[in-house]
Amino acid sequence: MNRIRLAWICTGLVVLLAPGMVGAQESEASERSTIERTPPQESLFEKKIRPVLVAECYGCHAAGAGRQVKGGLALDTRSGLLQGGDSGPVVVPGKPAESLLIAAISHADQSVAMPPKKKLPDTVLADFTEWVRQGAVDPRRDAGSSPPRSANDAAPHWSFQPPRRATAPAVQTGAWPLSDIDRFVLARLEARELRPVADADWATLLRRVTFDLTGLPPTPAEQESFLAAPSSSRFEQVVDRLLATPAFGEKWARHWLDVARYAESTGKTVNFNYPHAWRYRDYVIAAFQNDKPYDRFIIEQLAGDLLPYDTLQTRAEQLVATGFLAIGPKALNERSGLKFELDLVDEQIDVSSQAFLGITVACARCHDHKMDPIPQADYYALAGIFRSTETCYGTAAFINARRTAPLLPLPPEAFPPAARPRLSDSEKRQIEGRIADVRRRAEQAQDPTQRFLISGQISLLQAQLDAYESDGWPKLLAMGVRDKPAGRERRRGGGFGGFAGFTADGSRTIADSPLYERGESDQPSARPIPRGTIHLPGLPALRIPPGTSGRLQLAEWIASRDNPLTSRVFVNRLWYQLFGRGLVPTPDDFGQAGLPPSHPELLDHLSLQFMDEGWRVKPLLRSIVLSRVYRLGSQGDSRAMEIDPDNTLLWRNTPRRLGAEQVRDAILAVSGQLDLKAPVGSAVALAGDGPSVQRRPGGEGAAGAINDPTNPHRSVYLPIVRDNLPEELALFDAADPSLISSDRPQTTVASQGLFLLNNTLVIRAADLLSRRLVEFGTVEQRIAEVYALCYGRGPSPREVEQARGFLETSRRGRETQGQAARSDDREDWSALCQALLASAEFLYRL
Amino acid sequence: MLLRRDFLHSALSGFGALAWAALTQEQAARANGGAESTVGSPLVPRATHFAPRARQVIFLCMEGGPSHVDTFDYKPKLTADAGKPAPRGRGRLLGSPFSFSQQGQSGLWVSELFSNVARHADRLCVLNGMHTDLPNHAQAFLQMHCGLFQFPRPSLGSWVLYGLGTENGNLPGFVTINPPQTNGGAANYAASFLPAVYQGTRMGARNPAAGAQISNLRNARRDRDSQRLQLDYIQQLNRSTAGALGGDSSVEGLISSYELAYRMQGELPPVLDLSEESAATQALYGIDGTGGGGRNAGPFQPGGGGPAAFGRQCLLARRLIEAGVRFVEVTSGGWDHHRNLQESLTNSCRGVDQPIAGLLTDLAARGLLEETLVIWGGEFGRSPAAQGDGRDHNNKGFTLWMAGGGVKPGLAYGRTDEYGLEAVEGKVHIHDWHATILHLLGLDHEKLTYRHAGRDMRLTDVKGNVVGEILA
Repeated sequence: MNRIRLAWICTGLVVLLAPGMVGAQESEASERSTIERTPPQESLFEKKIRPVLVAECYGCHAAGAGRQVKGGLALDTRSGLLQGGDSGPVVVPGKPAESLLIAAISHADQSVAMPPKKKLPDTVLADFTEWVRQGAVDPRRDAGSSPPRSANDAAPHWSFQPPRRATAPAVQTGAWPLSDIDRFVLARLEARELRPVADADWATLLRRVTFDLTGLPPTPAEQESFLAAPSSSRFEQVVDRLLATPAFGEKWARHWLDVARYAESTGKTVNFNYPHAWRYRDYVIAAFQNDKPYDRFIIEQLAGDLLPYDTLQTRAEQLVATGFLAIGPKALNERSGLKFELDLVDEQIDVSSQAFLGITVACARCHDHKMDPIPQADYYALAGIFRSTETCYGTAAFINARRTAPLLPLPPEAFPPAARPRLSDSEKRQIEGRIADVRRRAEQAQDPTQRFLISGQISLLQAQLDAYESDGWPKLLAMGVRDKPAGRERRRGGGFGGFAGFTADGSRTIADSPLYERGESDQPSARPIPRGTIHLPGLPALRIPPGTSGRLQLAEWIASRDNPLTSRVFVNRLWYQLFGRGLVPTPDDFGQAGLPPSHPELLDHLSLQFMDEGWRVKPLLRSIVLSRVYRLGSQGDSRAMEIDPDNTLLWRNTPRRLGAEQVRDAILAVSGQLDLKAPVGSAVALAGDGPSVQRRPGGEGAAGAINDPTNPHRSVYLPIVRDNLPEELALFDAADPSLISSDRPQTTVASQGLFLLNNTLVIRAADLLSRRLVEFGTVEQRIAEVYALCYGRGPSPREVEQARGFLETSRRGRETQGQAARSDDREDWSALCQALLASAEFLYRL
Repeated sequence: MLLRRDFLHSALSGFGALAWAALTQEQAARANGGAESTVGSPLVPRATHFAPRARQVIFLCMEGGPSHVDTFDYKPKLTADAGKPAPRGRGRLLGSPFSFSQQGQSGLWVSELFSNVARHADRLCVLNGMHTDLPNHAQAFLQMHCGLFQFPRPSLGSWVLYGLGTENGNLPGFVTINPPQTNGGAANYAASFLPAVYQGTRMGARNPAAGAQISNLRNARRDRDSQRLQLDYIQQLNRSTAGALGGDSSVEGLISSYELAYRMQGELPPVLDLSEESAATQALYGIDGTGGGGRNAGPFQPGGGGPAAFGRQCLLARRLIEAGVRFVEVTSGGWDHHRNLQESLTNSCRGVDQPIAGLLTDLAARGLLEETLVIWGGEFGRSPAAQGDGRDHNNKGFTLWMAGGGVKPGLAYGRTDEYGLEAVEGKVHIHDWHATILHLLGLDHEKLTYRHAGRDMRLTDVKGNVVGEILA
C-alpha cells in the first residue's frame, strides 16, 4: 500500500484523472466564474483544452509529474507548450495546419500519432484546431507543474464531495452498540474479525471523561459521588455536569488556540509583544463555554467587524474575534512594506484555509498547488480580500521593528476588562522623567550611531505611556481587522505598478490584487485577479458587494452547509482530541496528499449530525463520549495488536499521555495550588509593548513570568511568547505557536523524566500534596487519599503495601545517611507523592 | 556519588531494561538476521550483518535546502548562460555569483563559500547526483530523515540505534541538537513504531544561541542514592500500569526514558561542559566567545552572525561521539534562500564553514574520523533558474557529501546536467543514500526490519540500492 501511494504521489494527479471523467460534470458555479474572469480565448482553453491536456497528455508530457517528459515535450506549462519538444515547436499560433500538435492528435501521420493508442473524438480535435486558429492562447502562468485548473477537471477528491447520509450498518453483536457511532465502528471491526475489548471500569471512565472534557482530574468528592452508585444514566449526568463547567471551555479552547497559532508575541526575527492578544484567547474560551455555534464562530473570527450588532458588548466581542487574523507571526524588520503586506496576507490565507478547510492554499502563492486543484489565480483572488483588509496588531516602534500597526479601540460602554490598573500620576511622571533622561543622554552622545540607538529607547518608553488614556486609565484595545477604505477600483493606470490604490508600501484601499509571478513582489501581473475564493464543487462563486473587502462573503462561504470540508474538518478535530487519532489521520490535510478517512460513513454521519444540530460542539461531544466505543478499556489484546497496532479500527480506547497543559494543571490541582478563577489579562499584557524577553528600559519583558513555578492559574492562561514557551509546556509537546497545529506529537524522552524528577515545580507540588495528606490520620487513609487524588481510584492492598514499603525504605535511607535528625517523615511522604506524580498512571489518560 | 561500575550495574539491572529486554529481544534477533544478540538491554551493542566501516554517525543537517550549484556542484555553463531562458520553461538562468576552484590532490571543485571545508577536499566523497521525491520542505525533510513522508516512520538515527545499540548506556544513543520544530518537527527524530527507547533525544531546541543544554540535570533535594530508591518505586508503579495495559509500548518507553534520565544526570554534565576544551580547539571550531546568531536571535542581536553557535554544536557532537553516542545530528536552519541569494547564502555558509572544517580536523587528529561517518546536506537543492535574486527548490538534482568511515575520499560521484537542474549520472535517491549509510555501518538495509502492522518494515521501504562505487 505504501508503495502504491508513493507512486501515486510521484506521478501527481495523472493517475487520478482517468479518461472519461473529464468534464463529466462541470458545475454551474465554476463555469460562471471562469467566464466572469476570462476572455473568450482563455475560456476556450480552460474549458476545452486544458482538461484534455491533463487527462490525455500529462501522463507522459508533464514536467511537474515527477518523471522525464517524453520526447522532451512538456505540456503542463505554457512555456513548455510554446517551446515544443525534441521535434521542434508543436504549436504555430493561428496555423493549425502547420502545428505538429494538431497533426499528432488527428492521427494523420502514424509516426507522431498521439495519444498513441487511441484517437481522440472529432469534437476534441475540432476544439484544438479552433484554439490554435484563434492564436493558441494559453493563460497558464507557472514556474513548474500545473495541476488541473479547478476541482471539476476530474471526479472530485472524496473530501470535496458533500457528506453523504448513510444508514448505520447491521452488526452481528447487536447488543453491544449504544448508538449509531458504535454500529459504524463495530461493523468495520467485525469485517476484520476483531472484537472490541471490554469496557473500562467506572473509575477509569470517570477520570478519562473528566480529563477529556475539562482537562482536569476528578476530585475525590466527585469520585465519591459517582462511584458510590455508578450507572449509565448517572454517567450521562456526569457528562452534562462537565460540559457545563467553565473548565470545559478552557480545555477545548486550547485545541482551537493550537490551530489558530495563538501567541502573545510576533516571533520571527524581532520578537515583540502583543499585549492585547489575550482578549482573543478569552473570546475562544467563552465561545466554547457558551457553545457558540461553530458556523457563527467562523464568521466572527473572519469578519466579526463587518457584522451587525444589537449591543456594544456584542460589538466588542465580534471585534475581538477578528484577532484570529491578527495574532500570526510577523517579521517586524521587513524592509519592504509591500513584501510585509504580501507575507501578512499569505499568513492569513494559510491560517484560514488550514484551520477551517483543512487544506493548504498557501502553496499557490508561487505556483499552482502541486496536489490539490488550487491554481495560483485562486490564491490571489483570496489575497485581494485580505489585502483589502487592514490588520490591526499594534506593536511598539523600534529601530529594527518598523512595521507597526494601529489597534482596534473597543467601545468603553461595553466595559471590556482591562489587564492593567490605572497609571498613577507618580508612575506617569516617573516614565516621563525617564524619557527626558534618555533624550538628554541622546543629545549628549557624540557618535551619531550612539545617538540613534539611545533615542530608539524613547519610542519604547513612549509606548508605555501610550497604553494609557490621558486620565491614566488603560486604553481598551484589541487586535483584529477592519476593511480598508473603499477607493476607486481602477484596473489600469496610476498608482504603483499600474494599480490605483497600491503604493510601494502595499495597498491603501479596497482593491483586487495582481497575481505575482512566482510569488515575487516585483513581478505583478498586468491584470488584477477579481476577489474571490478557491473553487469547490457545488459552491457558488462569491458575490462581493462593491466597496467591501469580501471577507464577510468568504466567511459565509466557509461556514456554509454546502461547503463539503468545513464540518468534516472540525468534527475530525473533535474526534482527534477524544481518541488521540482522527477519523482522518491527517487532520490538517484533507487534500490529495492527506490520508483518507478510516470510517468515511461515520465521519459523514457526524458531520451531518453536527450541522443538523446547529453546529453546536457540546451535543456532538456528548453523543461521542456516551458511545460504547468511547467507554472501551485501554488494555491491549495480542491478536488485535497484531492486526491493527495503531488502533485505526478502534478496538480499544488508546491510552495516551496527558497533554502538556493537563500535566501541569493536574500537578497543580492535586497539590491544591490550582486557582480555577480565570485571571484577567496575562503576564505579557502586564509587561506591555516592546521586546518579549530581552531586557529593555522599564522592565524585562515577560521573561520572568514565563517560567514562574508559583503561578496558580490554569496553563491556558500562561504567557505564550513565540520561541519561548514555558518549559513544562515545551517539554511535554505543546504546540509551537508559530505553526498552525492540528495535532501534537507524543514524545517520551529523558528530558521529561528529568523534569519530573528534578524540577522545582514538581518538587514543590509534591511537598504541598504531602501536606494535604496530614489531616488524614492513618497511613492507610493517607495512601488512599493520594491514590484518589492522583489516580482517581483507591489503592489495592498490594499497592498499599508497596507504598508502605517505599516509606519505610525512604526512612531507613535517611537514617543511614544521618539525616533523620534534620528531617522527619514529611520527606518520605513528599518523595512518595512525587513518585505518584511522576508515574505513568498519573501522566496518562487511560 | 556512585562509581561508574554502579551506574553500569543499575543500567543493566534497572527495571526498565528488564522490561525492555523481553519486548525487543526477539525483534533485535530478527534484525540481526538471526545472529546472536547480546542479552540484556535493547541498547546494548549488537552484532552487525557484516563488518562495519563506520561505528557512529554525525549528520550535519542543513535545513531548508542549500544550493548545490553555489557550493559543491560546479556549473561553468550556468555562469556562461546566465540570463538565458532555463530549460523546461523555468524562468531565466541565474549564474552562481560565487567562484569555484579545484582543491587538494583530488581536484574537487568547491566554491569560495566553503573555503575552510575545501581544505578537506581530499577527505570528501561528494554525491552530485542526489534526488528526492518532492520539492516541498516538509515532505523532503521527512523523506531525508525517515525515508517516507506519507506515513509516520522511524528516523534514520532510530534505525541505526535499533540496529547497533549504543556504546554508552548512560547517554542517549541518538541525539539531535537544535532540531527544527517545523518541517515535520519531532517526527524527524521519532522512533515511530520502533520502541520509544530508540527515539532521538533533543538538545538545545529552545535556546540554540546559548549552546546546547538539557535542563533539570540536578536535584536540589535528594542525593543519587535516595533518588534511586524513589525511582525504583516509580518504576514499580509504571510496571503495573504497563502490565495492566498488556505491555503498552508507550509506557515501556516511559520506563526506559526514566532509566536513561537517571543515568544521564551523572554522565551528561561533563560531556556538555565545553569549557574543558582548550582555547585552540575552541578556535578551531570558530567559537570565539562572542555569541553568534542562532536562529532565534533577539532584536538586540540580529541573526545571521558568525560561526560560534554552530561551532559549539559541532564541538558538542564530537564530545558526544567520543563518549559513545551512536548517532548525532546537528541542524543548521535557514537554508531556504528564495531571496537575496548572494548575501543570505554567504551568511549561512559563514555560519557553518569553519565549524565543519574544525570538526573534520579535530576528528582526524583524534583518530575518530576513520570510524565516524560524517554526512552533510539538506532536504534538496536549488534551481539554477532565478527566482528574483534567489533560487527556488530543486528536488531533481542536488548534492550531499560524506566523509570518514568507509567512503572513498576525494571523490565526486554522479553529476547533474550542465545547469544543475537534474541528476543525469550516478543518480542517488534518498533511499539509496539510506541504504548506503546503513551498509557503511555494517547493516543490510533489507535485513534491518521491524514487524509492524503485519509487515516487516524497513527504512528503505521496498527500495534502495547501496552505492557500491563510493565505498572505500
